[in-house]
Amino acid sequence: MSLIKTENVDKIYQDNGVPVEALKNINLEISEGEYMVIAGPSGSGKTTLLNLLGALDKPSSGKIFFENSDYSKLRRKELSSFRLHNLGFIFQAYNLIPVLTALENIEFSMMLLGIPEKVRKERAMKLMAELEIDELANKRPNEMSGGQQQRVAVARAIVNNPRIVLADEPTANLDSTTAKRLLDLMLKMNEQKNITFIFSSHDDKVIERAKRLIILRDGQIQNDKTN
Amino acid sequence: MLFKLAWRNIWRNSRRSIIVIGSVVVGVIALLLIDSLDNGFLNQMLFNQISSNVAHIQIHKKGFNNNKKLQSFVPGAEKVDETLANEAHVKHFSKRVIAFGLLSSASNSSGIYIYGVNPGKEKFVSYIHQFIVKGKYFTGGEREIVIGEKLARKLKVSLGDKVVALANTPSGSIGSEVFRVVGIFKTPNSEFDKIHIYIPIRTAQKMLDIGNNFHEYAIILDNYKNAKSVAADLKNKLDAGYEVFSYEDILPLLLLQLDLFKEMMFIINLIVGLALIFGIINAMLMSVFERIQEIGVLMSIGMKNIKIFLMIVFEAIILGVSGTILGIILGYALTQTLAVYGIDLSIFSDSLTSFGVGSIIYPILSLDNLIVTLFMIPFVSVIGAIYPAIKAIRLEPVNAIRYI
Repeated sequence: MSLIKTENVDKIYQDNGVPVEALKNINLEISEGEYMVIAGPSGSGKTTLLNLLGALDKPSSGKIFFENSDYSKLRRKELSSFRLHNLGFIFQAYNLIPVLTALENIEFSMMLLGIPEKVRKERAMKLMAELEIDELANKRPNEMSGGQQQRVAVARAIVNNPRIVLADEPTANLDSTTAKRLLDLMLKMNEQKNITFIFSSHDDKVIERAKRLIILRDGQIQNDKTN
Repeated sequence: MLFKLAWRNIWRNSRRSIIVIGSVVVGVIALLLIDSLDNGFLNQMLFNQISSNVAHIQIHKKGFNNNKKLQSFVPGAEKVDETLANEAHVKHFSKRVIAFGLLSSASNSSGIYIYGVNPGKEKFVSYIHQFIVKGKYFTGGEREIVIGEKLARKLKVSLGDKVVALANTPSGSIGSEVFRVVGIFKTPNSEFDKIHIYIPIRTAQKMLDIGNNFHEYAIILDNYKNAKSVAADLKNKLDAGYEVFSYEDILPLLLLQLDLFKEMMFIINLIVGLALIFGIINAMLMSVFERIQEIGVLMSIGMKNIKIFLMIVFEAIILGVSGTILGIILGYALTQTLAVYGIDLSIFSDSLTSFGVGSIIYPILSLDNLIVTLFMIPFVSVIGAIYPAIKAIRLEPVNAIRYI
């Protein structure tokens, strides 16, 4: 059974009253534990597709299923809960909460699930040690490098043991060495914890590690190959 | 964690937060100061009236208060004396003869209220003796008179000068007596000073030819707050031939002013509250607009709308509560200091003395207003945060995370 399945998904934006077809007839099946990259040139619809898969946006037509349940029809409150329980996000600009320390940023999504403080701290510290960022626990984002922030963002994304982690251009703001280390780390998390990773990127370093590569062009799937 | 997040968010832009807290502090201090000043002003008016001649309770023959006929003497004085002696709350009382008349000097004359008093007892029920600015409050002579400064100026008399008092007697003839000015008083009420004169009660009774009769018992209690209940009690103990009035019955207009003042304070609170609401809305809207992307991230990771709403409301509450606490501390310190030293409003002394208030106002901070302020401002902060919070939760996460 596929973890995520899309059926005839279209996404049309209104740009100053002019309809723009960002995605056309997307049919995809993603299984648990995949390490998948959505690649393509700028404007091909990568981020739009990622947003739809991440329940941040709704399709103009078509359906998106999570374990056979259509979540594209859920209400805002239900979508929030769906994201909290099943998804983790990694953003291009890290997007950590600037007033919280690294430890608190990681704890935050556990707090939203109502996990007791003691358990939160223990789990966050264990994960930080695993990701080799435990020395950053009390640092705020403005005291960390881009690579360090993105590692904290990875920790935040996976600390609740989500079924899927969606990463939008996660290496775009990182230097080459840091990007490679981060990608290796995420690959390790995929292999060790069986977390499904879906990337949107046109970075070669991301693409060359992909176990499955989907190429988008003009809003359509041009190629879908598994390595 | 939500509260911690709200607290830290406030200090992201410390300058803006300090300005908002500052405006709350100024609003709170202004509310406390306006309230305590007006309270002090009206209380001074009330207590000056009580202390000058109204006292806490007055007893007359029934009908005297509406029609001050010279023949309306207090009947059965022994019974009243005994009743007052047995009333635990009564501290002092004084008998008074009251008549309308004319006071003339060599150069002028003026209409007056003649108060025949027992100086020894009157000292405990009115404070005229404390306001003697020239001479003394009686020295024991039969033909001594104590008059107000404004009247003395009108009659162009000073200490030792002779004046003649004239008044109708019950038989319709004119009673008159020559007096020598032994004391000049100046109370905070210049209108009072212009028309009241004090002479020994025996001399008044003789001049008016009324024997040992008198018109009024002026009574001082252990606490003015007991006036209403003690007046009711005395009314029950005395028969229907008497009228017993508390100061509230005698000064209804002043008490009406006190009530009116409370309603005015409500309106002032409302105006200050509205001003603060707009201040909070402005600050919180700015804060939300600066964090659109961050709010989008919070939504993306699954933070529910209610928690985002609460986070913004908490921020406003923190601003409101810290401003209120600081404002109350500073406002309390300020009003208590002014309550000791007073606010010198000598430049308005003419109009203030016309109202029966001295030129120095001693603010009185009421607990009621303190409590209202303590709860109103945080409540206002919550109201001010609602619109920005709604704006925040209406953001679409997909648009918010891309917002630059």
